[in-house]
Amino acid sequence: MAAAKKYKLSKLERDERRLGFVLLAPAAALLTAVVVYPIAELLANSLYSFRLTRPGYRFIGLENFTFALFEDDRFLQSVLNTAILIGVTVPGALVIGLGLALLANQPFKVKWPVRLGLLLPWALPLVFAGLIFRWFFDYRQGFVNWLIELAGFAPPQWLSDPHLAFVALCIAIVWKSSSFMALILLAGLQTIPKSLYEAAEVDGASRFQQFVEITLPMLKPAIVVALIFRTITAIQTFDIPYAMTNGGPGSATETMAMYIHKTTIDFLDIGYGSALATLMFLISIAATSVYLRHTKRDGGRN
Amino acid sequence: MAGATDMKLGLGRKKTVWIAAAIVAANGFFPALWILFTSFKTESELLRHPITIVPHDPTLMNFVRVFVDQPILLFLGNSLVVAGLSTALCIFVSALAAYAIVRLRIPGRNVVLSVLLAVSMFPLISLMVPLFQTMRTLGWLNTYPALVFPYAVLSMPVCTLVMASFFQDIPGDLENAAMIDGCTRLGALWHVVVPLAAPGVFTAAILAFVNAWDEFLLALTLSSRVTSRTLPVGITLYQGEFAFPWPIISAALIVAIVPVCALIAIFQERVVSGLTAGGVKG
Repeated sequence: MAAAKKYKLSKLERDERRLGFVLLAPAAALLTAVVVYPIAELLANSLYSFRLTRPGYRFIGLENFTFALFEDDRFLQSVLNTAILIGVTVPGALVIGLGLALLANQPFKVKWPVRLGLLLPWALPLVFAGLIFRWFFDYRQGFVNWLIELAGFAPPQWLSDPHLAFVALCIAIVWKSSSFMALILLAGLQTIPKSLYEAAEVDGASRFQQFVEITLPMLKPAIVVALIFRTITAIQTFDIPYAMTNGGPGSATETMAMYIHKTTIDFLDIGYGSALATLMFLISIAATSVYLRHTKRDGGRN
Repeated sequence: MAGATDMKLGLGRKKTVWIAAAIVAANGFFPALWILFTSFKTESELLRHPITIVPHDPTLMNFVRVFVDQPILLFLGNSLVVAGLSTALCIFVSALAAYAIVRLRIPGRNVVLSVLLAVSMFPLISLMVPLFQTMRTLGWLNTYPALVFPYAVLSMPVCTLVMASFFQDIPGDLENAAMIDGCTRLGALWHVVVPLAAPGVFTAAILAFVNAWDEFLLALTLSSRVTSRTLPVGITLYQGEFAFPWPIISAALIVAIVPVCALIAIFQERVVSGLTAGGVKG
């Protein structure tokens, strides 16, 4: 009886397994065509000297990589720019996002203005945010300089000064990314039981103490996920600087992604562009594995 | 319940709540409002110094010029076709995959989930280089498929995860009952699961659509000929005769963001739940 049941189950199981693979097949096929095969091609091309501006290609081993890492100052500058952008905008977006989440976590009677206020920046295309902020920071007609003049100061040339351009860029990126951060953190805030705060209030804890002792620890998992997520996307920063400064003045605000794009599409240097893209791929894999390890550990704990 | 909290709130507390709402809303609406105001300004008002905030002399001329002088309808059409087709493809493929992950005992379920997460983190710029070359070889540059297939894959991870979490909540007994009544597995998926999971499918579709509507890097690289540009590329690469014509650009931006804004305004609760499903569960 038991054996018969087991046999039946395993036949059903086999059928289900077969159907499972059939259902996964379209997804796997698309992934292979759009991700796996291109990555294989990317890795292969990175070992060649290969430009579309002249015929033929030649195997050169790791020469593209050694050139990028030891000789190409413009690439190293773009790596440094990207690192600074990550270092400034990821914590910046976290702080602003947490502030927005705390503000949004109030007992509103009408919820849509706040919810939409958090969703709009997310839904706005990155490149449009870049365009709009380029205009906010315009020397003559910009909103920022209008405020500065109202306050009685001399308006600066935001986008043609290397340092100020960087500052303006960071402000735009923080604005664009903090809302999504706030949405994630808000969802985390709403899972914290109200009873914890009531108990703390009975014990006479101040609002600040409640924030440090209850809110932050309870929010930590959401914060970590949001930070890693944001860092991985920040590595690829392209749209906002493309629209806002186009990497300028000079290449003061050029990111890795912008330099790779320029190398491949404008200079048509597929071999070297592939090597640079491979480097970015490796950095992202490292960051992603940190994320996967984190979620796995969390899953194990639950 | 709402009444009880209201009574507990003092007048000062009520004011704080009000200010909090105003700050969050202002932060989110401000740039959109700014371009909305600008789209009604005349070119000469824009050159005035100091600048004006609300248009003094509102005009619809910018919108007329966007539609008459610019191929904005073409960009709009390209965006609709690319976003629509890629969303349909993405939902079809992701729904099957999500169902397989949730209901069928496939081995290595966790591996599938890890692969999905890894893909969702993938640097687009690394894909851009070989995709450019492949599409060039295939002669697909500046065609719809060049964007439809990559966009479908781009949203596949998040759509699969969102739909999987909705499928999970549908009691398996319903499908078993349908199968006892003579339905096949796929029949049960189509007749029982999909209608019940419609909100989840719909949420995933909105996310996929917005992702495709907003994408810039691939569109710029694979589809930059004027006639095949999507809205983000068309507007960003727009060159006026002299300087960047901000009132016209603003009008174009309004045209480009209104469809998506309407979509998320109508379905805001669903969008929020879909966006946070991945993040909070991690």
